[in-house]
Amino acid sequence: MMSRREGETILIGDRIEIVITHIGRSQVRVGIRAPRDTPVIAREWKLVREENRAAAGAPPVADWDGLVARLEIPAQVSAELSDKGSARQEAALKH
Amino acid sequence: MPTFDTKNFGPIAFESRDTIEFPRGLPGFEDRRRFVAIRQERAHPLVFLQSLEDPGLCFITAPVLAVDPQYRLKLSDEDREAADLTPVRRPRIGKDVWALAVISVRETGPTVNLLAPLVINLRSLRAVQAVMRESAYSHRHALPQPAEAVCS
Repeated sequence: MMSRREGETILIGDRIEIVITHIGRSQVRVGIRAPRDTPVIAREWKLVREENRAAAGAPPVADWDGLVARLEIPAQVSAELSDKGSARQEAALKH
Repeated sequence: MPTFDTKNFGPIAFESRDTIEFPRGLPGFEDRRRFVAIRQERAHPLVFLQSLEDPGLCFITAPVLAVDPQYRLKLSDEDREAADLTPVRRPRIGKDVWALAVISVRETGPTVNLLAPLVINLRSLRAVQAVMRESAYSHRHALPQPAEAVCS
């Protein structure tokens, strides 16, 4: 554990530097200087990355009905999907 | 009208202005930035998010409200900026943004990522996969079994 004030720095080894740039009410902003080959990401980003890869790697689902049956279709969702004005993104299927 | 040959849907035609752009890509797919949403009546309310840079990359998604009608968006400043939403303090689902949760189909049953929905600005179609702040949403929320028909 280590306490730091705004503007103060932490060094990890010789090549990684963490600066506390701003302390807000519920979050802090930190600047991180690290070698190019050291990835710097938030932990949630890693979880989401793994989840995205799993989702993209799944085989195409043949049974939409089974998936659709698990979802609710409240009025708001129907409205959201049908009444989208300029953002009508439906790609026309050609075949 | 541009067309794109996809692995799962064959060739699709779309309007350029309907391209959804993720300026930072998606975690794990940082260099995939352009997508189109494909919807099919029989799969309603699912939305297929097809990459325009990789014919084989397509995410199955559902509107977060179809999974949890009480769902609340809580975006960080960085995520609002990435989706061009800086002036919109509290984007409303369906009005300002579209919020889609990515579905993973697993052997143990489908799960949805409610922790990090895809938030699409409805005006500019700029988008970000936003990690919800201070929330208890799971990145692997199990979709419940469909309710059994009740026999009496």
